[in-house]
Amino acid sequence: MTTFLQAVAGGLGQGSVYALLALGFVIIYKSMRVVSFAQPAFMLAGALAVSFLAEALLGIPSPWGFFLALVLGAVGVALLGLGIERTVIRPMVGKPVFVIAIITLGIDIVVRLVANIFIGLDVRPVGDPWGLNSINLGGVQVQERHIVMLVTTVLLVAVLFSFFKYSRLGLAMRAASFNQETALAQGISVGTVFATSWAMAGALAAVAGTFQATGAGIDQNLWIIGLKALPAIILGGLDSLGGAVIGGFTVGLVESLVATYQGDFAPWLGQNFSVVSAYVVMLLVLLVRPYGLFGTKEVERV
Amino acid sequence: MTEQRSTSVSTKASRQLWGRPELYTSYGQNLRMLNTRPKQVAVVAMVLLAATYVPFGLPDEWLHLFAMGLAAAIGAIGLNIVTGYAGQVSLGHAFFLAIGAYTASALSGEPGRRTIGFGITFLPLWLLAAGVVAGVAGVIVAPLATRLRGLYLAIVTLGLVFLGLHIFKEWKALTGGPGVGRQGPVPEMFGQRLDRNGDLLTGDQKMYLLTLVLLVIFAVFARNLVRSKVGRAFAAVRDRDIAADVIGVSVTRYKVLAFGISSFYAGCAGALLYAVLGRVEPDSFNLLLSIQFVAMVLIGGAGTISGSIMGALFITMLPRLTQELPTVLPFISSDVTAPLGAANLAIIFYGLMIILFLIFEPRGLFGIWIRIRNYFKAWPFSY
Amino acid sequence: MTSRTTQLLAGLSALALIATGCGRGDSGGGGGGGEGAVRTDVGVTAEPCKDTPNLTKGCIFLGTISDLTSGPFKALAVPITEAQKKFWERVNKSGGIDGYGVDVTTYVRDNKYNPETHNQVYQEIKSKVLGLAQTLGSPTTAAIIGDLGDNNIVSVPASWTSAWAFEDVILESGTNYCLESMNAIDYAVEQFKPKSVMAVHYPGDYGEDAAAGAKVAAEKNGLTFEAVETASGQDNQAGAINAVNSKKPDLVILTTGPTDAAVIVGQTAARGFTGKYIGTSPTWNPGLLKSPAGPAFKALYLQSGPWETFTADTPGHKNMREILGAGVTGNDGYTAGWVWSYPLQAALKKAVENKDLTREGLLKAVKQLDKVDYEGMLPASAGNFSGDANAGVVRETMIAKPDESSPTGVSTVKTFFVGPTAKDYKFDKPCFQS
Repeated sequence: MTTFLQAVAGGLGQGSVYALLALGFVIIYKSMRVVSFAQPAFMLAGALAVSFLAEALLGIPSPWGFFLALVLGAVGVALLGLGIERTVIRPMVGKPVFVIAIITLGIDIVVRLVANIFIGLDVRPVGDPWGLNSINLGGVQVQERHIVMLVTTVLLVAVLFSFFKYSRLGLAMRAASFNQETALAQGISVGTVFATSWAMAGALAAVAGTFQATGAGIDQNLWIIGLKALPAIILGGLDSLGGAVIGGFTVGLVESLVATYQGDFAPWLGQNFSVVSAYVVMLLVLLVRPYGLFGTKEVERV
Repeated sequence: MTEQRSTSVSTKASRQLWGRPELYTSYGQNLRMLNTRPKQVAVVAMVLLAATYVPFGLPDEWLHLFAMGLAAAIGAIGLNIVTGYAGQVSLGHAFFLAIGAYTASALSGEPGRRTIGFGITFLPLWLLAAGVVAGVAGVIVAPLATRLRGLYLAIVTLGLVFLGLHIFKEWKALTGGPGVGRQGPVPEMFGQRLDRNGDLLTGDQKMYLLTLVLLVIFAVFARNLVRSKVGRAFAAVRDRDIAADVIGVSVTRYKVLAFGISSFYAGCAGALLYAVLGRVEPDSFNLLLSIQFVAMVLIGGAGTISGSIMGALFITMLPRLTQELPTVLPFISSDVTAPLGAANLAIIFYGLMIILFLIFEPRGLFGIWIRIRNYFKAWPFSY
Repeated sequence: MTSRTTQLLAGLSALALIATGCGRGDSGGGGGGGEGAVRTDVGVTAEPCKDTPNLTKGCIFLGTISDLTSGPFKALAVPITEAQKKFWERVNKSGGIDGYGVDVTTYVRDNKYNPETHNQVYQEIKSKVLGLAQTLGSPTTAAIIGDLGDNNIVSVPASWTSAWAFEDVILESGTNYCLESMNAIDYAVEQFKPKSVMAVHYPGDYGEDAAAGAKVAAEKNGLTFEAVETASGQDNQAGAINAVNSKKPDLVILTTGPTDAAVIVGQTAARGFTGKYIGTSPTWNPGLLKSPAGPAFKALYLQSGPWETFTADTPGHKNMREILGAGVTGNDGYTAGWVWSYPLQAALKKAVENKDLTREGLLKAVKQLDKVDYEGMLPASAGNFSGDANAGVVRETMIAKPDESSPTGVSTVKTFFVGPTAKDYKFDKPCFQS
């Protein structure tokens, strides 16, 4: 039982990273119907920015210096997202979505490479105050960082959902995602909606990247985690915010449980089967529900 | 393709004028494989040049690269069939390349080693087997594609790459395991090793000529396919699948066909590519490889065979070309480890190239060619 | 297809095949020279190197294939390459190889620690170099070893696989992973009496060589043994972490790269693992102490190695530090790159003395080496490439522990020793052969 709970705790911590990333994907998808493959790069850039900022803000007592760095880093990547949307994505509005998706792949490659140059040769610590410390919760060893990740994610999700529910801009974004032309006719600036969605996705990816880097540090391969959010959004449905959060946590839990038990029960699946378990779950769900668990079914008109 | 039609076409073609490249005097002519005189001349000249000057005028090192590019071009044509012509976005090409590479490696491998080998080194045999096995895998995957649309399909095929990667890493008897790999397919014909230096030709020359001949065959076949009934059905599915269904094109059937043919091409390309490279490592069949093929198609120009070939050659040469950059542009460091060194630049170029091409020239290298041609066509009034 | 195009294409394909009739002649060029001149073939030019115009006899080109940008050993490979550059600069400053300059900077290529890439860049440079000043990685070098042998290309490996002792063209220095792991286990038995050993290792010649040695030593000492293979990449370590945490061995022999070592050691410790780790030298990187796994490394980790670390005070170490200059932060990549270069220098010298600087001549010179002057960096008996592997192999290992005050992050706890297992081991075939 302890092993199980420990796996669940780790899974929820890791799942919060996927949930944040998945939210970013879904926000962009809802605004422009495009899957942005640039999220992994934003994630790497965010973690890197935070690591430099945390170093600069060492004077501020822990853990507040790190949180300040996290906020500043997220803002920085949001601005980066804004800039890229404005210069590269905006001119492409109206082109086939697949072309834009491939452009984001190009962005991903360029941003990641620039980030790699700053990482350097060694593994770069992200500067978080928790390291690998863990606390004992009723006999279960839970890593401190996982608790912080989970709490922060829950807070961020709450803020996001109330933003979409109550704020003017949030409502505008929902309206635009429902029907762009009608929204335009109602006086909503679709351009602002695009820009905001890219900035939000950038900030969320930055937080996710930083969380992912706690524990082991920033390595050039950190971005691969960003692709794990893809099964999460497909699970939840490409255009469902709630689905993204649920999908993210599901992927985290599945991975953690598979990593814990598969070695004993199904060793023939291979040693690191947990890494791809999310994709297997994704395929299984899609066989039953082609638009994910919570996605909207597209109505085809000729 | 009856004898009767071909004679009628050739009489019409003889009436064609020089300098009017897009003047078609009949529907039959429009449908021909090389539908204009300049195209006929240009293609023949290019193939002649590639078959005579290149293998004897260029150093082996470049032939090796060209051979890789030509093998990759077969794969790019395959991806173009499913993505450019039939409109099914696939990020899973690396998976089918891998199946081809491993089928061929296993068939041609030496028996009794650490990795599976059957000792069947006769090239046409393992090449065909590689294509068929990959093609069957494509047909198996295709039903998913008929259920899914657009980006869902892209992400699922991406999932395929990750699952494949896992299987190839774990199946050590076949692949040698990650970080180790195994010997690639052994290209042998009539008792002659094509990748080893012989009395007359070097290994690189032989491999280059082999890939060239095969590419010509595969390209002709693809061009024939897309100008036939099947090709038009692909385009109908791509442009509006429901409309296609309504006018009697079986969407499922053609999607499955497109995936099958595309995977057959990918399998053959994978086998050939790794016969040229000499070593297969499971980690190389990752997302980046898929992206490289997508880049070949997009940079070359989606929906054109010649574009795929140009794109494949360009992407394959890119790392090598950036290595030459420091000699031309002194501010670029030739030091591999430098931040703006050649190695990093090559990767940045990929990214920038994809972005810039899609923004400014969505028709790719093929589009640039069209522009150049139009410029000279309209000369002296080209503005 | 129209009949005319069919004919045309058939004709063209045929042409391509017929073209095979006019082949390319013998490509082996250069060389020759009059009576008493040094014979040369590939990779040696009569013009001096561009950096050493004063060495007028000519220029010897050596290639380097290393993990320079994105592989798991980049943090080690860059200093290795830098140290070798300085080593050969020093050789050039003191008159070169009897008047020949040595160029190791023109043909430097990145292998990304991928055998496929390694083979590809090797094909690119092989016709331009006499030998390889560095070919990094065991599985990567295994991918080209056949071709190296066929073409008599003498090469310095940046790895310590036991198979190299059986390859004529490979100039290995120091003990191999196999014997090193035996020594590590013998040391652990003497120090903290473990009952169970687990080898957590990369696949291929690097990790599996160490695991094979560990197995021999574990059996000899009556310990239970288990090997767990793990691929490189942070996200691939879940299996290894779970294996260590569930089996709880007393001792883990770790043969991975530094990043993956950080994940494994850090995460297992975070989940309550208290056994010991001993890592082979490519596993270590000074940056690990600053990583979140730093405390775990200090508590659990020891480091085995084929020679003393960067800060030791043998004449060779001192020379190296002096040439590298004060601006360099200590890293055992430098030490390794430096040590590895001595035998190649000795072989080149011998080849010039023999008046035969062809590839074959260089290989002949290697086989004549029975001793190499490592300036005290290795035991005096090291560097015997003339006899059989069992006689020539170096068996000494040293053990270090993490130490923040040392620039390389480790300080020696036990200097050169040969454990009982390694001493008796009859080294007549590679411990692991891929």
